[in-house]
Amino acid sequence: MSRFNLNFLKTPGKIALDAMWRHKVRAALTILGITVGITAVIVVLSAGRAIEDFIVGQVTMFGTDYINVEVKVPSTEHVSSENVSSMAQGVTVTTLKEKDAEELKKIANVRDVYSGQTGQAVFSYQDQNKVTLIFGVTESFDAIDSGELDEGRFFTDAEDKSLARVVVLGSSLKEKLFGDEDAVGKQIKIKKQSYRVIGVMKERGGAGIFSFDDIAFLPLQTLQKLILGIDYVQFIYLQVENTALTDVTVDDVTVRMRELHKIDDPTKDDFAVMSAAEGLALLGTITGAIKILLFALASISLVVGGVGIMNVMYVAVAERTFEIGLRKAIGAKSRDILSQFLAEAVVITFLGGIAGIAIGTGLSYLVSVVANSFGYAWKFHFSPQYILLAVGVSVLVGIISGIYPARTAARLEPIVALKRE
Amino acid sequence: MDQPLIKTIHLCKEYDNDGVVTKVLHNIDLEIKRGEFAAIMGPSGSGKSTLMQILGFLERPTCGQYFFDGKEGGQFTDDELAAIRNEKIGFIFQSFNLLPKTSVFDNVRLPLLYDEKHRIKNQHEAIIAAIKAVGLYHRMDNLSNQLSGGEKQRVAIARALVTEPELIFADEPTGNLDSKSGKIIMEILQDLNEKGKTIILVTHEKYTAEHARRIIKIMDGTVENDYLVKERLFAKNANDLIK
Repeated sequence: MSRFNLNFLKTPGKIALDAMWRHKVRAALTILGITVGITAVIVVLSAGRAIEDFIVGQVTMFGTDYINVEVKVPSTEHVSSENVSSMAQGVTVTTLKEKDAEELKKIANVRDVYSGQTGQAVFSYQDQNKVTLIFGVTESFDAIDSGELDEGRFFTDAEDKSLARVVVLGSSLKEKLFGDEDAVGKQIKIKKQSYRVIGVMKERGGAGIFSFDDIAFLPLQTLQKLILGIDYVQFIYLQVENTALTDVTVDDVTVRMRELHKIDDPTKDDFAVMSAAEGLALLGTITGAIKILLFALASISLVVGGVGIMNVMYVAVAERTFEIGLRKAIGAKSRDILSQFLAEAVVITFLGGIAGIAIGTGLSYLVSVVANSFGYAWKFHFSPQYILLAVGVSVLVGIISGIYPARTAARLEPIVALKRE
Repeated sequence: MDQPLIKTIHLCKEYDNDGVVTKVLHNIDLEIKRGEFAAIMGPSGSGKSTLMQILGFLERPTCGQYFFDGKEGGQFTDDELAAIRNEKIGFIFQSFNLLPKTSVFDNVRLPLLYDEKHRIKNQHEAIIAAIKAVGLYHRMDNLSNQLSGGEKQRVAIARALVTEPELIFADEPTGNLDSKSGKIIMEILQDLNEKGKTIILVTHEKYTAEHARRIIKIMDGTVENDYLVKERLFAKNANDLIK
C-alpha cells in the first residue's frame, strides 16, 4: 500500500489505516468483536419493536375507542397480585349486572355498550370434541366489535332474551369442528344440549396469546343461565363517541357505577374502569421493560467488544512503543499520537459497526420470516435511526475503549520509548 | 557575529532510579557553529549518547543551560520541541529505526506527516529527491524489511533529510554495518556537510570519528578533549560503491 492514495483522510486516519493494514488479522478479529456487539444491538432493537407491535396488536384487536368496566375484588388495586390471585383462588365478584350496562349507556359520550361473560365448555360435532372458550355477549357486540361475519348472521336481542340455543363460531374453530363442510344450519352439542350454528366469523389473524378465531360467541343470557348458571357479568364494554373526552367519560362511569353499587368509599370499589389508552400505557411499561432488558443484554456484548478493543489497543501500544518514540523523535506531538491511536480504535469500531448493521439487519429479517412461518404476526422493523444509533454507539465504544491506551501512548517520552525497542 | 547553532553552559544530566542518583554528564560547555561536522567520541557509558539526546531535544538536561539557535531550550514547551525536532533536526540511529512492513517511500514520508506548517510544499517531490540523494530510487517501493542493513541506514538518512533540517544527528550510524556499507554512509554524511548541513556524529570508533572535521572526546560525563582533525578521512569511493 506504498502510495495508496488516502489524501482524503486526515493524517491520523491515514496513519491508523496504515497501522491496521500492517496488523490485518488482529484488526479483523477486533472488528469481528464489535460486529457481534452491534449485530446484537440491531437484532434487539428490531425485535423489541416487533414484540411491542405484536403485544399492542393483540390489545388493539378490541379497538382503541373503548372503556372497559371489569369486576374487581374490593380493597385491591385492579392491576395487582392480590386481585389476580384472589380471582384465581375462586373469589367471584357477582355484583356486576347487565342492568348496569343499560344505565351506563345513558352517560354522555357513550355511543353503545355490550356486556360480556367468558366461559369454557366442550363443543362436539360428530366425532370432533373441542374445549372451547366462549364469549357470552349481548347483541350489540356485533355492531361495536370490528369482527365481521364470513357467513350466516349474528344473534338478535330477542334470541338473547329468550335463551336461544344458537352459536356463532370463530373461523379456526369452525375449521377444527367442520373442516371444509358448511357449518351454518348444523347442530353442535354443548353440555349435551344441541345448539344451532347460525354464523361463522371471518378470520382475524393475530395468532399468539389470544385469538378471536378460536372462540365461540353465545348470547349472554344463554351462556349465563344454560351453561354457567349465573346472573352476573364479567365486563361491560363501552364504546365512546369522542376519544378526546375518554378521561372525562371514565370519571363519569366511575361515579355512576358507585351510585349503582351504593359505594361511598372508593377503596371498596367492586369494579375497575379502564380505557384503551390506559391499557396501552400499561402495556407500554411492560414492553418498555422488555426492551430495556433486551438492550441490557445487547450492551453486554458491546462492552465485551469494547474490552476487546481496549486489549488490542494496549497490545498495540506496548508493541509499538518504539514506533511511538520514533514518531515523537521526528516531530509528532503528544496529541498526534493520541489521535493516531484513537483514530485506530474508532476506525475499528466504525467498520465493526457497519458490518454489524448489515448482519444484524439480515438476522432480524430472518427472525421475522421464521416467526411468521410459525404463525406469529412478527413484523420486520428497520429504520435509519438504528444505523445512526449503531454507528454512534460503536464509535463511542471506540473512543471510550481507545482513550486510555492512546493516552498511555501519547505520554511516553520519546527517548524512553526509543530505548525500549 | 554569527551566533553558534548549539551552545551549552554547565550542562549536566542525572538519572534518579528509585533514589539511586547516577550522574551521567557534568559541566558540559560546548559551542557548535553552523556548517560544522563534529564527532562526539567516547567509550560506551561515557555519556556521549545522552549528550546527543539532550542536544537533539529528546531529553531535557537536569541543570545548566542549552541554547539552540540563540534561544534557551528550557523555555520550549513539549509541542515546540516536537516542532523543532521536525523542522530543524534530522536523526539517524544505530538501529535504523524504520517502520517495519512499510515501504521505503512511506518511511521517508513519515516526518512530513507532522509538517503542520506545510514548509515542504511539494511533499511527493521532496520524498523522491531524498530517496534519490541516498541512491535508493530503484528500491522506493520495497518494504523496509526487504532491505540490507546499509540500505536501511540510507533510508533512515533520506528520512532525516526530507524535512530539510539544518542539523543532523547520527548516533553510531555505522555501528551495525559492514565496512563497505559504513563507508557509503560516511560518504553521504560528508557530502551533506559539504552542501552546508551541520552534522553531529556520535561514535566510539576513532576511525569513524576521523571522517569529521572536529572531534569532541567525552570521558566519564565531561569533555576530555576538543580538537580539529588534521588529516581528515574521506570515503571518496563511496559514490562509485552506490552505483
